[in-house]
Amino acid sequence: MKTNDVILQTVTTIVSFIIILFSIQLFFAGHYTPGGGFIGGLMTSGALVLLLLAYDIKTVRTILPIDYKLLTAIGLLLAVGTGAGALLFNVPFLTHAYDYFHLPLLGETSLHTAVIFDTGVYFVVIGITMTIIQTIGVSE
Amino acid sequence: MAFQILLNFFLAFVWMFLSVSFTSQSFFIGFLLGLLVIFAFRRFFNSRFYLLRVAAVISLLFLFLKELIMANISVLKTVLKPKLDFQPGIFALPTELKTDWEITLLANLITLTPGTLVMDVSYDKKILYVHAIDMPDVDEAINEIKDSFEKAIMEVSR
Repeated sequence: MKTNDVILQTVTTIVSFIIILFSIQLFFAGHYTPGGGFIGGLMTSGALVLLLLAYDIKTVRTILPIDYKLLTAIGLLLAVGTGAGALLFNVPFLTHAYDYFHLPLLGETSLHTAVIFDTGVYFVVIGITMTIIQTIGVSE
Repeated sequence: MAFQILLNFFLAFVWMFLSVSFTSQSFFIGFLLGLLVIFAFRRFFNSRFYLLRVAAVISLLFLFLKELIMANISVLKTVLKPKLDFQPGIFALPTELKTDWEITLLANLITLTPGTLVMDVSYDKKILYVHAIDMPDVDEAINEIKDSFEKAIMEVSR
């Protein structure tokens, strides 16, 4: 007698989207309000773990064919690259720059290079969390 | 259903482009006019006019609120009775609902009304196992759920 997970799976399809949207909101809120790359990445991997609980590892791999080790490497590269970019302008390592730009549709927006650094943090956190969980999950 | 809503949004955007005013006001006017056009041509579509379904969703919401209040009062009565004379039990509820959405909605509505609780869904999705705190009569409990929630959900989906 197998159990029927129909309720869990149906609710997961809706709830995981809400969690991921909330994690993106947390990621972008990090400059002025509580939030940022670390907690956003943890929340996103939380949504992926919920998918893993409702379905199995194979299904989630077909939905999101992402190599999480590569994602960690890309995140580190983004963070280091943002820091190294400062050396091109003869300022110390990890000096950030920001300016106000007039974008179409959005109007007056301030763009900051710390966002790119934070994106690196975000990717590293997702990659490491998912690598740990999937490695534990696969090994019998 | 989804196609009609999409068409309505498309018509609203067409109205915005025709009247060359990109405000929320003109979008709303275009949406209402598109609704009128879709209502006039409602026999073209193979599903019902979608406002009927929206009305069914709202009536389901009000039915749920009513059931929630009534069931809470009855559970309160059961709890405050000095004598323990209620009969808890588990019964099988055969359901006619087909899709995963409908079954999940029904199960959650049953669980959220106090006094009843969905424990499991059978593997062929035809039977829900429900635990009730006080059920002197099994058929009556089944019919109660069937008449209220299942009918309302069918109204939404068919």
